Amino acid sequence: MKTGLINTISKIALVLIPTITLSMAATAHDPSMHVKKAEKADCSKMDHSKMDMNDPVAIAMMKKCMQQAEKSNEKMDHSKMDKKMDHSKMKKMDDNNMKKDEHNNH
Amino acid sequence: MKKLKLVLFLSVLGVGVTAAVIYSGIVNVAADEPHSDLVYWLLEATRENSITKAAENIKVPDLTDPELLLSGGVDYEFMCASCHLKPGQRKSDMSLGLYPTPPNLAVSNDSHEGHEHGDDRQADRNNFWVIKHGIKASGMPAWGKTHDDQRIWAMVAFIKRLPSLTPEQYQILTAIE
Repeated sequence: MKTGLINTISKIALVLIPTITLSMAATAHDPSMHVKKAEKADCSKMDHSKMDMNDPVAIAMMKKCMQQAEKSNEKMDHSKMDKKMDHSKMKKMDDNNMKKDEHNNH
Repeated sequence: MKKLKLVLFLSVLGVGVTAAVIYSGIVNVAADEPHSDLVYWLLEATRENSITKAAENIKVPDLTDPELLLSGGVDYEFMCASCHLKPGQRKSDMSLGLYPTPPNLAVSNDSHEGHEHGDDRQADRNNFWVIKHGIKASGMPAWGKTHDDQRIWAMVAFIKRLPSLTPEQYQILTAIE
C-alpha cells in the first residue's frame, strides 16, 4: 500500500517538476519583453531646479515636453470642437442616456 | 635553389594547413564560446585600426544642437538600445547573446575595458563610420543603407551625451510624441 503511494507520488513529481521548470523558462522569455512600445515622454519627472537651461539635453527635454503638451492641447481644442459638434444632437443623446439611466434605476 | 624549394614547401604547407582548418570543421564558430585571448586581440586590433583609418577624414559637424538629441534619441531607442543598452540597464538578451559583446554605450568610454577610443573628435568620427557602414560578422548593421548622414549624425550626438543621462532624461528624450 505504502509502496504504491510512493510510486504514485514519484510519478506525479516526475511529471510536475519538468512541467513547472519548463513553464518558468517560458515566462522568462515572454515575447512581449522584446516588443518595443511607443511611449509618451514622462515629463512629470523633470526637475526644473536641477536643469541647466544652456545644456542641450535640458533644452531638448523642454522642447519634447512642450511639443507633447501642445499636441495634447490640440486634441482638446474646444474652439475646433465647437465648430463640428452638433449640440442639439448631443442634448438628445444626453436625454436618451438620462432616460436610460433612470430606467436602469428601476 | 634550396631557398626556392624551402619557400615553395612552406607555401604549400601553409595552404594545406589553411585548407585543413577550413574543411575539417574544427573551428568552433559558436557565439557562446569566446575566442582565445590571442585571436580576440588580433580581431579587435584589426577592427579598431580599420575603423580609425577609414574614419580619419570624416568632418564632424556641430553636435550640440538639441534637435539632434531628439531625433537621435528616438532612433537610438528603436535601433540600438536592445544591444547597446540604456541608462540604468546592465544587460539584455542581445547584449548577453551576441559575440563579440556589443559595447555598453550608456557608460563612458573611460570605463570600457580594452581598446583605446582616441579623443572625442575621433570617437565621433568612429561612431559615425560604424553606424553608417556596420561591422562584418559582428551583428552591427550598416544603417547607412536606410538612413541619411544627417540622421546618423543625430545618433552620434545622442550617443555622445548618453553616458551622462539619467533613466528619466533618457525616457523623455527617446519617447515618441
